[in-house]
Amino acid sequence: MAVTSAPPPATSGLPPGVSGRPLVGRHDVFRRQLARLGWGFSAPALIFIALVTVFPIVYSVIISFRHVLLYSTGFHMSGFTLNNYAKIIHYGPWRYAVAFTVGYTVVTVLVELVLGMGIALVLERLSRGRGIMMALLLLPWSLITVISARLWQYLYDPSVGAASKLVQLFGAHNPVILGHNASAIIALMVADIWKTTPFVAIILLAGLVMLPQDVYEAAEVDGASEWATFFRITLPMLAPTIGLAILFRVLQAFGLFDLPNVLTGGGPGHATTSLAILGYQAMFEFNQAWGPGAAIATSTALLVVLGCLCFYRVFKAQAAREVG
Amino acid sequence: MASTGNLPVRSVWRRRGFHTAAAAAAIATSVALAGCGSSSNNNNSSTNTTASGGLGGGGGSGTTTSTTLGKTGGGTAKGTATSGSIKFWASPITTSSPDPRKVLITAFEKAYPHIKVTLESAPSDTDTNRSVLSSQIGGGGGPDVYMGDVIWPAQFGSQKFAVPLSKYLPNSYFNTFAPGLIAGATYNGQVYGAPFFEDQGFLYYRKDILKADHLQVPKTWEQLVSESKQIQAKKQTKYGYVFQAADYEGATCNFMEFLTDAGGKVLNSSANKSELSANNAAVKALTFMHSLVSSGVSPSGESTYQEANAMNAFDAGDAAFLRNWDYAYSTSQASGSKVIGKVGVAPLPTFKGQSYPGYSNIGGWNLYVNPNSKNVAADITFVKWMTGTKAQNILATQFSEIPTNQSVRTESKVVKSNAVLAIVPKTRLVARPAQTPKYAAVSQAIYQNVSAAVGGSKSPSAAISAANSSINSTLSGGGL
Repeated sequence: MAVTSAPPPATSGLPPGVSGRPLVGRHDVFRRQLARLGWGFSAPALIFIALVTVFPIVYSVIISFRHVLLYSTGFHMSGFTLNNYAKIIHYGPWRYAVAFTVGYTVVTVLVELVLGMGIALVLERLSRGRGIMMALLLLPWSLITVISARLWQYLYDPSVGAASKLVQLFGAHNPVILGHNASAIIALMVADIWKTTPFVAIILLAGLVMLPQDVYEAAEVDGASEWATFFRITLPMLAPTIGLAILFRVLQAFGLFDLPNVLTGGGPGHATTSLAILGYQAMFEFNQAWGPGAAIATSTALLVVLGCLCFYRVFKAQAAREVG
Repeated sequence: MASTGNLPVRSVWRRRGFHTAAAAAAIATSVALAGCGSSSNNNNSSTNTTASGGLGGGGGSGTTTSTTLGKTGGGTAKGTATSGSIKFWASPITTSSPDPRKVLITAFEKAYPHIKVTLESAPSDTDTNRSVLSSQIGGGGGPDVYMGDVIWPAQFGSQKFAVPLSKYLPNSYFNTFAPGLIAGATYNGQVYGAPFFEDQGFLYYRKDILKADHLQVPKTWEQLVSESKQIQAKKQTKYGYVFQAADYEGATCNFMEFLTDAGGKVLNSSANKSELSANNAAVKALTFMHSLVSSGVSPSGESTYQEANAMNAFDAGDAAFLRNWDYAYSTSQASGSKVIGKVGVAPLPTFKGQSYPGYSNIGGWNLYVNPNSKNVAADITFVKWMTGTKAQNILATQFSEIPTNQSVRTESKVVKSNAVLAIVPKTRLVARPAQTPKYAAVSQAIYQNVSAAVGGSKSPSAAISAANSSINSTLSGGGL
């Protein structure tokens, strides 16, 4: 449902037993105790999650501000320094990685939205066979990324790959798809779009089936064309769902790691080195540079958070305008 | 999506306040834990103190019956200990049984009945291996003796992940190894690894084709190119020469061979400046590599070729000459290969005007001792035995690995045992420029530019000057 300021419906949609009313009064003492018991039972799991997720994040941020070396006696950290951030800002491949990751995110999300929208529209009209089609479409999404990356690696192989043979049909002579910057990036995008378009399609389909039919009937009565119906009715009503799909995809695409790691190793040169790959290389592979690596990770997280906040603000304003 | 309706402010605030409080508590606890863990500025002595640093500490180095350094089982740490317990970390050496690691351990335990060795199987990918080892040793634990790549001495030495063996073993021990190997294991004047078995580049050739065309095994690169062109003109193979120039460490190995043949080197003797632009050798070497592809002698996919791609091309009969490591001989003679019985091995060629043979890049594995180990004396004994004549003989004759012990390499029984070992005494070795702890970044500068030049996206001179400035910037503290 679109964001509205209408009063809550009679059935509030809360899980049974929860009234949403404030817990005061004799009847609610029991409920309060139940709530506390619930917290007590989930506390161990929550503490564990806090240790496994919150602690490494905080530790990583702390490391990014210190000079870190690793010896056989453990981490040796000293002082508070902004040197790690200065280092990455002056490091060419980092600036490239930011541009590459942002550009990659924008392009793949746009393409996936368009393709996913098309697939969702078709699926919505299928009555029988929708289940089977959805299952088939979800196959790429369900494959583990590393496995599908290996499959794409075979497809892109210069001597035996089907993709290379296909490109040769179009006139390219002895193409080495993963060996040149532009073609490697496009190859990466193709593999990613193939994998995540079904995910976007499913989200958009879920939004599509919830749209009220009466608006469409009214539009038909008024003689609106298909295109007008789509652009003036479907898309605006679908805005929250589209926003959700974009949010999910952006968060995912910013962490781009497994595909380039398997397909190109970040190469050729550093053409497909995304922020996540650069951070991994800095800390664990080439440089054993813990401070700068943590700085890369922290700055990436910051970028994502800022991006999502901006997006949310713009999106909320847009949605409010549409409805109001 | 369910809506929660409009709740009165008071209860919402109470609920939200609870969540905020819980989250704040989690973060505060994390900061406190991280804070007290990270202020460890212990003195980094290189002896075998156990872990005390950070929250990754814990876990000693295996069960041990022996005491500290120098007082173990009747001997000082000179390799004469007679009791102790060792955790030996090694990745698989071969893919078929019997397992050489287990065979060697059994033989060692027979010679030293009171020293118990436990094998820990390591990941086969060398970079994964290094990450895991770094985590373990940095966490204060780790194995006692580990088998590591030949390019690790400087990185591991500077992080004190390995014991300087030259503190415990005399020069006479290090002189038992083939020339070039100990230089590659040295950092800051100390030797950190004992060469265990080595690998190097060889020239594999189709002896049936050379015989049919009355051609000699090429002694110069120029001769190899002209012979390839003849062979390709007669359509006997698709390509002349396949090697490795993908964007990975193997490209550095291949480049080192061409570079040293041309008379160049990567680093100066103090390992703090790049010598790539000091003379014309690097550009000459890289121009030659690029010309192999541009003239059609090598496939255009060379800039994506790793060992497997080159091996497949040669095994399928698509190439007349191959540059690969020692295992390539047995792989080319395994079932499924189209060149069984048709392969010869020779040292690599060099450029015209230089003395034959050309240089082969050193690969292979060293044995290192963990400073966190509680029984360094037993560890040194184990290392000495594994690099001694008996163990090296087993490696060579039973498992066809190239021994590092010089006397074993030239023993006639070993030389006769397979085609590759027969060539080994005739080759010349050159190490990669791993004397600097920043070797990984130096190698990356080399292989990224080499691969780009071979693939044609950079000119050789631009690639060399880019590599040169990249290396200088890394060595002077730039980069990450």
